[in-house]
Amino acid sequence: MKKLVFSLLMLMFLVGILAGCVSENTSGSSEEGSNDSGGEESSDDGEMNIAVVPKLVGIPYFNASETGAVQAGEELGVNVEYTGPTQADASAQVKVIEDLVSKNSDVIAVAPNDPASVEPVLKKAKDQGIKVMDWDTPADKELVDLSVKQVDDEEFGRHMAGKLVEAMGTEEGKIAILTGGLSAANLNLWIDAAKKEFDENYPDIEIVSEKIPTDEKQQVAYQKTLDLLKSYPDLKGVLAVSTPAPLGAAQAVQEKGLQDEVSVVGSALPNDSEPFLEDGSLDTAVLWNPKKLGYLTAALGKMLAGGEMPEDGQEIENVGEISVKDDGKTVIMGPPADFTKENAGDFDF
Amino acid sequence: MKSLFKQKEFSILAIVLLISSILTFVSPVFLTVGNLLDLIEGNVVIGILAIGMTLIIITSDIDVSVAAVTTAVAVSISYLFGFLPDSWISVLLLFLFAPVIGLVMGLFNGLLVSKIEIPAIVVTLGTLNIIAGLVLYITNGNYVNSTSFPQSFLSFSNIEILGIPILIYLLAIVAVGTWFILKHTLIGRSVLAIGGNTQSSVRVGINYQRVKLFVFAYMGFLAGIAAIAQTAYTKAVDPNGMIGLELTVIAAVVLGGANIHGGRGSIHGTLLGVLLLAIMQNGMILARIDTYWQNVVTGAIIVIAVSYDQISYKRSQDKLANIEVEA
Repeated sequence: MKKLVFSLLMLMFLVGILAGCVSENTSGSSEEGSNDSGGEESSDDGEMNIAVVPKLVGIPYFNASETGAVQAGEELGVNVEYTGPTQADASAQVKVIEDLVSKNSDVIAVAPNDPASVEPVLKKAKDQGIKVMDWDTPADKELVDLSVKQVDDEEFGRHMAGKLVEAMGTEEGKIAILTGGLSAANLNLWIDAAKKEFDENYPDIEIVSEKIPTDEKQQVAYQKTLDLLKSYPDLKGVLAVSTPAPLGAAQAVQEKGLQDEVSVVGSALPNDSEPFLEDGSLDTAVLWNPKKLGYLTAALGKMLAGGEMPEDGQEIENVGEISVKDDGKTVIMGPPADFTKENAGDFDF
Repeated sequence: MKSLFKQKEFSILAIVLLISSILTFVSPVFLTVGNLLDLIEGNVVIGILAIGMTLIIITSDIDVSVAAVTTAVAVSISYLFGFLPDSWISVLLLFLFAPVIGLVMGLFNGLLVSKIEIPAIVVTLGTLNIIAGLVLYITNGNYVNSTSFPQSFLSFSNIEILGIPILIYLLAIVAVGTWFILKHTLIGRSVLAIGGNTQSSVRVGINYQRVKLFVFAYMGFLAGIAAIAQTAYTKAVDPNGMIGLELTVIAAVVLGGANIHGGRGSIHGTLLGVLLLAIMQNGMILARIDTYWQNVVTGAIIVIAVSYDQISYKRSQDKLANIEVEA
């Protein structure tokens, strides 16, 4: 009996694995198939292959940018391959890029997990005549032909600080800052900018404690906010940077019924934050549109492959007006987007 | 009373009390009912998982797939919500389904460890990756928030009995139940025997494979319960939200006096270990310790706690040996 149960379990497991392989194989082969035909076409009518590599696949943020990139591919008539590692792992990402280099893509756009570790493989790509871009997170500036940034870090941090003050309705009081992790470079840039904004324009705002890490987890942000609310009963606002942190902070405020006393502003995706935006426990979620970022990356990839460079103030269809920094190759997508109670339902990410 | 001081868990209790009294001085908020309830409620998931992990560690094994199994069950729960009607029966059904789903995954680990005798770290590392990969494939990493939860589940998670949140009762039931199994049932005594000395226990007729199968299956069962607790606590299901939690769970068990080489460990010790980690996390902000120093202080307390525990254990062992020599 036991043997039977055991062999049944093993069978289930094997079938499961095989099923996984089969479905992967079919999807892989169909992809390859389309790529192959794309490759043939490219020799025929000059269709381009643009590879977009996120930090990792399978999180809502990068899923949204995938939708945008694929949409751009369809509308602009280029082959967009969106592929990346399943974990935010630098070496796994390098392997993905290596595969793309040997497949002879025309453009590779990377959101590096670690700028230093993708450097050699990007150099190799360049040597083979592949155009190299970074998006979402900058790679080595000397190496890339084009750099796509969602927002200006300084502007983004200052904007969040301004939104928090606006939500608090007062220019004095205590606030706390939550962050995803102490070593995340972009989060630190935003927080520094936000602090500068408080220092320069709202000197009566007091930031309690240093920035508090939340391990990129909602639950940790929730617990830390509960502790903060107890430790600083006169806390007026929480600035939560990193996408899960505002949700956790808002959950704590919601649970304690402090929607009117404590304002929460942070960087989060609209769909996730909807239940908190509704009752005012989260006042504003500030981010950018990841779908547009994916679209812009693919669109600029096409320009780059065609030998064009974007210009400051240029209008990109479906994205809007972009700005180009003085170095001529850093593109800023636009101002940050605010997601509020009123508009959060309009987005599908 | 004297025996209390001799117990190996006493050292960790002493440290918990010491830190608590320091925190009470530093922050008046610490020793309030509200804060203590928040603190315990926030660690119910870790507590439940740590209790299951205690049994595994007593048998000198380890299970690194707990966080992945819990996530998988939590994701299954979020899918089940789509099929279950919005009534109290659904919540009851959830308590039936979730532990069973966990149990199946635990059994899988257990079968590989006990029948094929693959080292548990290898098996569970494998299942960790299989399960985490499948979860990511199925959910695409999408976060499920409370808007898609049935109202009955939301009101279940907000129940308070005598001012104490329901999740704390859940932890208490799991703790008492497991303590009873460990202390008063044949299988529970076998767990301790196998951990103490595998060869002798097999010679006296304890079924080694059955015990191994039991501890892993039980871990899966508890992971199912922990998944309900996690879903009720965060009121959301985040497929990436528990990555790395297994390390906290194992740390809590080891802090609680369990020996990683097996044979030693108790439910109340583990609960104290969870409590110590919880108090430190909670106290850092209440004591207004600067962020960068929080890690230093946390690390230092863990090292002190473990070495204190180890030193007192060694002393008691030395005494034992002396008596034997004299006799």
